[in-house]
Amino acid sequence: MAVCIAVIAKENYPLYIRSVPTQNELKFHYTVHTSLDVVEEKISAVGKSLGDQRELYLGLLYPTEDYKVYGYVTNSKVKFVIVVDSSNTSLRDNEIRSMFRKLHNSFTDVMCNPFHNPGDSIQSKAFDGIVSGMMVQTG
Amino acid sequence: MAQCVQSVQEFVQDSFVPMVAVLCSEEADRITRKNNLNFAELLRPFCRLTSEGHIRDPNNQVQVVKNLRICVNKVVTSEGTTSAALNPAQRLLLNEVVLSCQPQEGAVTNVMTTGDYELNFSATTPWFEAYRENFLQSMPAADHEFLNHYLACLLVVSSTEAVPVEQFLKLSQEQHRIQHSGEYTNPKWFIPNTLKYYVLLHDTSEGDEQRADAVYEDMKQRYGPQGCYLLKMNSRTFSAEKDEQIPDPWSQYLHKNILRNQVSKVTLSKCTRIPLSSDVMSGSLENHALLLDTANSSGSLHTLSAVNTDLKKGARDPDVLVVGAGSHGACLTLNDHDHIRQFVQEFTFRGLLPHLEKNIRQLNDQLVSRKGLSRSLFTATKKWFGGGKVPEKNISEPKSTCGLLYPPEAPELQIRKMADLCFLVQHYELAYSCYHTAKKDFLSDQAMLYAAGALEMAAVSAFLQCGAPRPYPAHYMDTAIQTYKDVCKNMVLAERCALLSAEILKSQGKYSDAATLLIKMTSEDSDLRSALLLEQAAHCFINMRNPMVRKFAFHMILAGHRFSKAGQRRHALRCYCQAMQVYKERGWSLAEDHINFTIGRQSFTLRQPENAVIAFRQILINDSRQTATQQGAFLREYLYVYKSVIGANDISLPQLPLPCINSSATRVYFGHERRLAEGEKQAATHVSLDQEYDQDSSAMWCHLEEQLVASVNRGIVPANFQTTQCCLNNQTDNLCHPLAVVEEPIIVEITFKNPLKVSLSLSNLSLLWKFSSDGTSSSKETKTEDLTEETITNEETTAVGYFMLYCLRHSVDFFLSIGHQTLDLMVVRGKQNLKILGPRLNLTKEDKMLIRHGPDRRLDPIITPPMPLMEVFFLQFPTALLCGEIRKAYVEFCNVSGVALCGLRVASTHPDFFTFGSQATTPLTPISPNSAENCSAYKTLATALQPGSVASEVLVSADDFSQPSGVIEIPIDGSTLQSGESTQLPLWLRGPDQEGVHEINFLFYYESTEKGLKISHRVLRHTVFICASRSLSVQASACRSSVPPHHCQDDKGSGGTLVFVDVENINTSEGGVREFHIVQVSSSSQHWRLHKYINPDKDKDCKLGSRERAKLCFRATRCKPHQATLDAVEKYTFADLNLGNERIISSSTPCGDFFFRSSSRTSSIGKSQASLPTEDRGSDITSIVKKCNDLDLNIIIIWKAYVVEDNKQLILEGQLHVALQTIGKEASSLTPKEEAQEMVLLKFKSELPPPVVLPCAELSQLIKTNLHYPETYTHPFVQDSLCLVPVTLTLSNCSLAQVDVIIDLKHKSSSPESLEVHSSFAWVGQTQYNLQLKPQEVLGLSLQACFLRAGVYNLNTPQVFAKPSEQSAMRETSQQTASPALIIINNTCEACWPADRRT
Repeated sequence: MAVCIAVIAKENYPLYIRSVPTQNELKFHYTVHTSLDVVEEKISAVGKSLGDQRELYLGLLYPTEDYKVYGYVTNSKVKFVIVVDSSNTSLRDNEIRSMFRKLHNSFTDVMCNPFHNPGDSIQSKAFDGIVSGMMVQTG
Repeated sequence: MAQCVQSVQEFVQDSFVPMVAVLCSEEADRITRKNNLNFAELLRPFCRLTSEGHIRDPNNQVQVVKNLRICVNKVVTSEGTTSAALNPAQRLLLNEVVLSCQPQEGAVTNVMTTGDYELNFSATTPWFEAYRENFLQSMPAADHEFLNHYLACLLVVSSTEAVPVEQFLKLSQEQHRIQHSGEYTNPKWFIPNTLKYYVLLHDTSEGDEQRADAVYEDMKQRYGPQGCYLLKMNSRTFSAEKDEQIPDPWSQYLHKNILRNQVSKVTLSKCTRIPLSSDVMSGSLENHALLLDTANSSGSLHTLSAVNTDLKKGARDPDVLVVGAGSHGACLTLNDHDHIRQFVQEFTFRGLLPHLEKNIRQLNDQLVSRKGLSRSLFTATKKWFGGGKVPEKNISEPKSTCGLLYPPEAPELQIRKMADLCFLVQHYELAYSCYHTAKKDFLSDQAMLYAAGALEMAAVSAFLQCGAPRPYPAHYMDTAIQTYKDVCKNMVLAERCALLSAEILKSQGKYSDAATLLIKMTSEDSDLRSALLLEQAAHCFINMRNPMVRKFAFHMILAGHRFSKAGQRRHALRCYCQAMQVYKERGWSLAEDHINFTIGRQSFTLRQPENAVIAFRQILINDSRQTATQQGAFLREYLYVYKSVIGANDISLPQLPLPCINSSATRVYFGHERRLAEGEKQAATHVSLDQEYDQDSSAMWCHLEEQLVASVNRGIVPANFQTTQCCLNNQTDNLCHPLAVVEEPIIVEITFKNPLKVSLSLSNLSLLWKFSSDGTSSSKETKTEDLTEETITNEETTAVGYFMLYCLRHSVDFFLSIGHQTLDLMVVRGKQNLKILGPRLNLTKEDKMLIRHGPDRRLDPIITPPMPLMEVFFLQFPTALLCGEIRKAYVEFCNVSGVALCGLRVASTHPDFFTFGSQATTPLTPISPNSAENCSAYKTLATALQPGSVASEVLVSADDFSQPSGVIEIPIDGSTLQSGESTQLPLWLRGPDQEGVHEINFLFYYESTEKGLKISHRVLRHTVFICASRSLSVQASACRSSVPPHHCQDDKGSGGTLVFVDVENINTSEGGVREFHIVQVSSSSQHWRLHKYINPDKDKDCKLGSRERAKLCFRATRCKPHQATLDAVEKYTFADLNLGNERIISSSTPCGDFFFRSSSRTSSIGKSQASLPTEDRGSDITSIVKKCNDLDLNIIIIWKAYVVEDNKQLILEGQLHVALQTIGKEASSLTPKEEAQEMVLLKFKSELPPPVVLPCAELSQLIKTNLHYPETYTHPFVQDSLCLVPVTLTLSNCSLAQVDVIIDLKHKSSSPESLEVHSSFAWVGQTQYNLQLKPQEVLGLSLQACFLRAGVYNLNTPQVFAKPSEQSAMRETSQQTASPALIIINNTCEACWPADRRT
């Protein structure tokens, strides 16, 4: 399962970042931040070829030595990034896809909350729960 | 990858140049030394040939060689094998090269805008180029390639030598020995018969020129004219032409040499020390790369700085040794320069190139001769016989890494040799095909190292071929790098390959590939290389068509980290700073903190504590998401750095980042803080900082102040009126400069917030301020003395600091330290500016689009000349009262300033709550509060109790009491209060009529006796809370009395009115109040008065226990008309009916005052109604009718309550007012509780207006009827069966209009019960009358009733109809009949017949 899940706003600031080994949070922050370049590249590439018929799932953004970074962009240009341990080979593309879909659904629920101020960081227990479910269980 | 000075072609070409060795005789060396150079160095600036050379390739095609550079080096022999890594000396050299090459301060930087990022970075990286150049030069000569093997050797001998030829021989032998003896593995030689070039060095300043020429001739004979040269130099003497400026072409070349020397010296002297210390450094910094683990590195800054200085010292020491390195070629003229240039050219074109050409030809011939053999056969024989070229396994290197090693003369190497030679003479086409062939051979032999070398060079020569017949084979390079790195473990070669490849890829715009290549080359073995390559990779990312800003930043950080590990602090700092631009203020706080922290540390170790402070400060200011321990560490570092900065200069206090000042929450209070109580006295509450700002209350105070100002200015509020604001906060209007009075304090409350999870302790806080007179900036900062200790714990907001000052400036100054535990260790002093941003503007479109703030002048007061200052104290002021209770208190006004005050007045939200008494009656009351104890608040007169006493009346003008508005002028003596004076006044209070807690606000107003000051007036607020509890409830109603008019003597017509007063004790307190006594009932009205107490039981002083109820009955009569009523002044008649022994003069101070105050509202309504009908009398029926029923009688019930409190009996007094408006309508002292309005159904259609109902009820009271008859009538029915009784019907017109009246005696009412009663008697005579009654006329009508037998009869059967005369169209209305009039008719017995009644 994922080791880091991040939601990035349209303006590329983090709305939500959670990683499993919390002591290495900074590293994941850097990784997610750097992956945004690839996300933007992919968005612009896709936009040219397909127009409106856009696939939200961006696939593997880039592999690092230890992690695989996957991306997903909503229609409102909110980005989801999931970092998976490279050693975890059991995860298939479809599973990542469904994780993103689940994440997107939960995110939509958060946005539907009338008390949520769009642009604020996400502080929702339900969302937290969904994310926790997708994270690697430590201990 | 950054931009480079050289073009790619130049760079690649220069990476591989022909190598020439130099052997110098000692004497020759001495001559060159004069110029502070050795021979190789001497030639170096001239090693690039400006003219074109020519060479013939094996096919006799002329090949142009242009822009050729040769490399001349002194022969340095050494042993040992070539290693796959650089030796420590070389590493240090590279390190020094990078260290010495720093970006200049303020150098030109590129500004790049991508997306919403604006980046500032230097496009060139000279340190990288310097590194690269040095790296390529320091490449050790390898066995598998020949590019940096020596091609030729210069043998240099001086002409001063005794026998120069012998020297040449000696040097030649030396060279031979070096090359062939096998003693030395280094240097390596390209071809067995190396070109020897004989140079005779002639020093023109000292040698014999002819001799030199002679020797040169001899040499020509010996070695041929192509193989020798006479170099004349040193034509300049030291002493002569000292001033001549000669360019120094050596400096740019030799500066590196000096470094090289230094490094070798350093390695000698400090060999053990530096690697050790750099280990320490990298060790300590390693931790900060990506995990912020500062917990274990506390105090690491100290060690770091120590190490750093150590290194610096080490590096700088040799600098001192090489003094005078600056001047090179001191003995050389420009002519000499030309000579040298000529020599190099001659050597290259006559000596070197032909030599190379010859060798290429030879090699080619060998290869061509061998071409006949098939490749496979060739290898087959090799396998079968192993002839000549037994693959030798290198023992030192593992077998698997490089495959086999060829012997130097192996045929496979010949082709490589040829390729290298072709490459060096720039015949790239031939070189490529040779490399390509060699590559195949090596690969088939599994000689991986050789193959990689061939691949690399094949790719390079393919790239360099002009016209580009084939695309650049990037995969060759990739394979080569892979092989070098993974198979051969030779990082140096891999690095060279990567550098070349990256540069080539960059030139082709393949930045992404270049970056990948560079990143792949980073490894753990060399931090410096990794750092430089990562930085170049970062530059690649930013130079891409779609710049990848974040990748750039991330790799910059990685590079910075590696730089810092390599001890390159300055570069590390630069990298981090560049990365910071991307991360700054974009919400990635964790990363931002990390970068800031690193920048802070690096800056500090680099002796830039100011920058360090700024960086650390940024961490603390940012909304930190770090853990508490992390924050603590940050704070500690910050304080440490800050302290060291402060230590340097303590002239001006720097800004502290913490704690945050919530500047908009700053409150400014003008004036002294109030004493709330002083003994018995209770000071006016005024405004204090404890109070929260309340919009409603401030509006209320503002309204009161407006009332006051209006009353002073004859009812008009001046245009420039401004509410006095004592306490300014973020909700008050702060647009104007507040006015502060000189010598009065200004209190500033500042709210601090600690955003950290670590507690901060503040001490010695003080406020700095500046005073400028009349706008001129003759100001100096002054500090208030204020010592406050404050600890702000985790994320807490605290309002601290009541700074007292007399003027102020925007700055707080305090000591900051963290927590308690480090209080004595880490205390720093700094200040923070206090700048208040006004509210955001939102009026115009621009305001809405931008974020603009209005001004906020809270902290910019204008100081005005002295103003009076008044304090108000209250004595014996109660907190709880019964409803309507009268209490006397005292109020003291003190002028505490040095200026006299006047115009004292007060406005209140409850003007009916208090009175200062009317001027006419005040002197009678004792002025001192002590003498008046236990005295009644009322003015009383002792009167004898007389049964049936008639009310005593006083006529009072309302103007004596009532004030025009809610503003009350305070009657003080002389109307001014001199400075220091105080005066005491009595103050009567009356409990509010409604129970509950009442907030009563007073606003005292006063002004200076001087006029035209900036502050026109001052105000003082006071708020009291009075708890009112229930006392009595009074219900009063009035009805017409049916008593005939002649009974009352002074009633002139309309007869009396009965007033019923129901009094109920509704006090709920159990223990306190015993009983209420109604002491007196008074009336006050313009037209009516209470006349008589007509209680049936003669119980006078009416007592009421708990929940008891009493009914009092009075007769009221109309007042006598006064002359005064004709005037505009309205007079009120006060009638007192005392039930006890004392008569309270209700018209005098407390009672009358409160009466007017309470009734002021109701009476004003009454007045307005009363004045209306005088104009159109009679035209309006309702008004006529109203008028006739109008009573407008105010009843004052004065009571005493006996209260037990603390075993003491107290007598409380009070008064209640009831205003009787109309007859028949009940009025109550209690205003009916307003019922909570029920939800009303929303109606969408407006309801029809209620139909106009004729005021029948009112009209039925126009005429009052009375029947006058004997109560008993005795008639002898025996004698006379008809009994006639005379009855007088009195009609009195109550209204003020003429009324037509119809009296119908026969009228039968329809109600059955009346039928029964009067069926047995009849009216005789005229049974219907039509009359007209003048206003208020009383008319008697004689009637006769006829009775047939004895009995009791109700005489009240006549029907009276009336209508106002003017209303012709109207029907007469039936008038209300009085109660049944009963008559008793007796039948007399004969005996007692009175004689007179018989007739």
